[in-house]
Amino acid sequence: MSIYASAVKKPITTLMVFAAIVVFGIYSIIRLPVDLYPEIEFPAITVFTTYPGASAQDIETNVSEPIENAVNTVDDLKEVRSVSRDNLSIVILEFEYETDLSEAANNIRDALAFVRDALPEEADEPNIFKFNTSMMPIQMFAITADEHYEGLEKLLEERLVNPLNRISGVGSINIAGAPVREVAIEADPRKLEAYNLTIEQIGGILAAENMNMPTGNIEMGEMNYPLRVEGEFKSSDYIRDIVVGNANGQAIYLRDVATVRDSLREMSMDEKIDGKDGVRMLVMKQSGANTVRVAREVNQLIDEVSGSLPADVSILPVFDTSEFIRGSINNLTRTLLFALIFVVLVVLFFLGRWRATFIVVLTIPISLIVAFIYLRISGNSVNVISLSALSIAIGMVVDDAIVILENISKHIERGASPREAAIYATNEVWLAVIVTTLTIVAVFFPMTLLGGMTGVMFRQLGWIVTITVITSTLAAISLTPMLSSKLLSMKKQTTSSSSWSYDRKIRPLLDKLDLKYSQFLKWSLSHKRIIVFSALGILVLSVLMASRLSTEFIPETDEGRFNISVELQPGIRADKTIEVARYVDSLLEANVPEMRLISTSAGADDQGGFMSMFQSTGSNIINITVGLTDLEDRKRSVWEIVESVRGDLGKIPDIIDYSVTAAGTGFGGNQVDVEIFGYDFQTTTRLAEQIADSLELIPGAREVSISREDEKPEMRVELDREKMAAHGLNTANVSTALYNRVEGMTATRYREEGEEYDVVVRFKKEFRNSISHIENIALQTPMGTSVRLGELGKVVEHYSPPNIERKGRERMVTVSATPYGASLGDLAQAINQVVNQMEKPREVIIEVGGAFEDQQEGFTDLALLLALSLVLVYIVMASQFESLKMPFIIMFSIPFAFSGVILALLVTNTNLSIIAGLGSVMLVGIVVKNAIVLVDYINLMRDRGYELDEAIVRSGRLRLRPVLMTAATTTLGMLPLALSTGEGAEIWSPMGIAVIGGLVASTIITMIIVPVIYRIFGTKGERNKKQRVRAKFSFMEEKMDKA
Amino acid sequence: MKSVFIVFNQAHSEKVEYMLDYLEVRGFSQWNEVFGRGSHTGDPHMGTHTWPEKNHAIITVVEEEKVNKLLEAVKRLDEINKEVGIRAFVWNIEQMV
Repeated sequence: MSIYASAVKKPITTLMVFAAIVVFGIYSIIRLPVDLYPEIEFPAITVFTTYPGASAQDIETNVSEPIENAVNTVDDLKEVRSVSRDNLSIVILEFEYETDLSEAANNIRDALAFVRDALPEEADEPNIFKFNTSMMPIQMFAITADEHYEGLEKLLEERLVNPLNRISGVGSINIAGAPVREVAIEADPRKLEAYNLTIEQIGGILAAENMNMPTGNIEMGEMNYPLRVEGEFKSSDYIRDIVVGNANGQAIYLRDVATVRDSLREMSMDEKIDGKDGVRMLVMKQSGANTVRVAREVNQLIDEVSGSLPADVSILPVFDTSEFIRGSINNLTRTLLFALIFVVLVVLFFLGRWRATFIVVLTIPISLIVAFIYLRISGNSVNVISLSALSIAIGMVVDDAIVILENISKHIERGASPREAAIYATNEVWLAVIVTTLTIVAVFFPMTLLGGMTGVMFRQLGWIVTITVITSTLAAISLTPMLSSKLLSMKKQTTSSSSWSYDRKIRPLLDKLDLKYSQFLKWSLSHKRIIVFSALGILVLSVLMASRLSTEFIPETDEGRFNISVELQPGIRADKTIEVARYVDSLLEANVPEMRLISTSAGADDQGGFMSMFQSTGSNIINITVGLTDLEDRKRSVWEIVESVRGDLGKIPDIIDYSVTAAGTGFGGNQVDVEIFGYDFQTTTRLAEQIADSLELIPGAREVSISREDEKPEMRVELDREKMAAHGLNTANVSTALYNRVEGMTATRYREEGEEYDVVVRFKKEFRNSISHIENIALQTPMGTSVRLGELGKVVEHYSPPNIERKGRERMVTVSATPYGASLGDLAQAINQVVNQMEKPREVIIEVGGAFEDQQEGFTDLALLLALSLVLVYIVMASQFESLKMPFIIMFSIPFAFSGVILALLVTNTNLSIIAGLGSVMLVGIVVKNAIVLVDYINLMRDRGYELDEAIVRSGRLRLRPVLMTAATTTLGMLPLALSTGEGAEIWSPMGIAVIGGLVASTIITMIIVPVIYRIFGTKGERNKKQRVRAKFSFMEEKMDKA
Repeated sequence: MKSVFIVFNQAHSEKVEYMLDYLEVRGFSQWNEVFGRGSHTGDPHMGTHTWPEKNHAIITVVEEEKVNKLLEAVKRLDEINKEVGIRAFVWNIEQMV
């Protein structure tokens, strides 16, 4: 028995099957994690190799190059880049998306094993590092304190960090910029010399004094006592009274030659949050954990804990990626609800009956819920892509149910019982319904086969639409007939008394529309030339207009946060940097009223550490993160604010370079890179500067920067080996001694309440701050005499060479620019022009890449997808109509869909991004579906013996409503997506705009141009067919004649 | 004994079944999904994409006095909606085993 007959005959079973689906769906929804995007692993592996003491150039030739050559043959490798700095080589291997990175890492390890012998002896073992999205912080908090600032780290460690680490899903917690306690002993070198003491001696004495030691057991009487010496410092005050030497019989106390401070380690990094002292806390999640849930639990715990913290300690969120995720998801859920309401209204408008509307609309939740089951089974999350896929599908899933229901009501109106009508009416149309679904699948299924980054984004969309549409078809041929048989009744056509009834108001309107349309169709069939030429005119016009479209990769999102990185004169002192940082803070406070929070860190944290992976630090660098108020509460977008901040920063004379970027968790980035390949530093640097200068002149270009760092000034001690040898010294002795005096010697550790703090001995600050001070440092020789550093060598100022970047095994410099008020595509074009006009040496190659390169790859993928979809749609239609020509007639409507897209994008001033492009590809299926409905009916009418013209006009009139209805459900289903302005809407509204524009244009044109084209192509073919049949059976005529 | 051959749009199935029960006609043979077209009016019922409707056919052998009742019932059925379509034809039965 067929599926629809069984469904009607076993209504309870049918109901139970769908109930089961709904239950599974709801279960899946509850258990699904929520995230912004489908989980993707950034396909890159980095090989770090340290080679202490080697310069950038040495590193390049001896480490980076051999490694590059070795790993170059690893499978699925897309690109090799490297950066060689002093002491460090970083080789970055970028793979194709979805490469198995653990396998790749193994391959790299094998490749490195071969090359290990070729690397210098002193170079350390290369380290393989796999970057993971779970290393990106999901939340950042600013913690400020007044009185408790000094003990903040210990306080936080105990009360906050440990409990937070226990939350499941939290990967790690990192505190940056926390003050560290240390006992600093700062000696006066003149006094040391007077008493004939050295830093090392003091350190040695401190270490020797600060100890507890078990010294054996004593037996006394019957007892056995352990014997201990307790010499550990009871308090830090104790240290100053330690005797460090003797002079003329007098004890010399430490306080005589040095000051002892038990306070915070001297920091060259300064953290200010809203102008107050503070630290930053970063929360990282484990890979695969639910960002939204982890963030919620972290926030909850912080709320609980903050009550028990001292009153002056306050915790403020700087950013919380989960907020943007929740915002986007809520926004899309709202969009989905509006779409649902619109679709219900459209169905009600055309069908005019509540029960019928209910039956049709019921397919929506059922089909959509299956998408969640798919997400759960495939281990995906509810994210922006899956939800937008649902918004796309929502208008399409009702179509099949509508076709089935219409036919059932037709049978009921003719007097069949609902039960019979349900079975037999479905029997008549179920095949046609499946074929139209196949055309949609033909467009969306290829998306699941896409590779690369576009593939990662759109595979889920392809699957979800395919699955929901197939489910909707299954529901349409089982649930819809079943419900129709139960709910629809053989209602006599009663004349409703109310003047506002559907029959009085809307039906005449629709009837009038049908009539007008058929009149127009008649006219156009007799004026084919006018129609064809005006259509061609529209097409040519839109192609001409297309050149005015701006292109971009993926629209940027306003996440209400931006980062500022300010660079001052290299080598500038930290306090000067801090001064500028304070000034920038005050400037921002005055000029950015939308500011919610500002977190500033100036200078370099000497510990380097975690944050330096994301930001470059140095005593001359200021990093600022600014959080803005919610999108609804401000007028200016983050980009406008960023632009005005750029203007403000440009006016500060101390700043030599700055960059202000809106933060985003999105894909891709938004930069055009000009890559200059060439071996000679000077040539390429000069060329890069030249290009950077001309890029500055392009109106839409901002943030022009050169990747090759400026040379950094440093003080270098150049020692004379002969002189050193004469004093019995060597480079190692001298440099250790220098380190102890300037950086400090960690003599011992002071213990208090189970925590250990460094005790550091060094020179007082005022004795280690100039070249002459350094040259004046006295060093102890093995002979017991002392000698000045100035006698052993000299201190000279020196510029260290820049970092060396390579890509594809060639040296490269990148000049990058970010667009403002212009699209990525336009900027890339302008830059290309500049680069082409430039005179360049023959040995230099210049390429334009960056996000623009991704964009082009993305568009190539899309073009491929479009071609594949067109072929598949053709295949489906050719088999449906059993004709090679018919699909062409139908596909005539596709170019007009693109005209509509172009027009809609131009009118709304939207850039052609990958997303809008994807919308256009989707149109192929949706538009063709409309034309199929029409052409199929014309064929039917022709087969039923109507004259060509009459068949066309009749079909047009009869099919107008179904076509309008499916077009309207899809268009209105997309409308909330297109109009949405909330968080994350920037990404998806272009798709809505593209589909609406294309669908409206193509629907209007389909209803006119397709009939006309059918008329042009149809005549000849049909006559021939009749003649052919006649010729085949000519024997019949002869016999009949004889008879 | 006469045989009555009833061809009807499958949408009439339940009504025809009820009609036979109502007239206490016990024996019949049925063919499902037979195709055909009328000599004068109505759409062909061919089960194709062009003419999607399908017929069922029933042949029943009844006493002569039941034949008129049966034909009348068929006529009433047809009257509900001419577009759906039902026809009945009567033959003589010459022998039976």
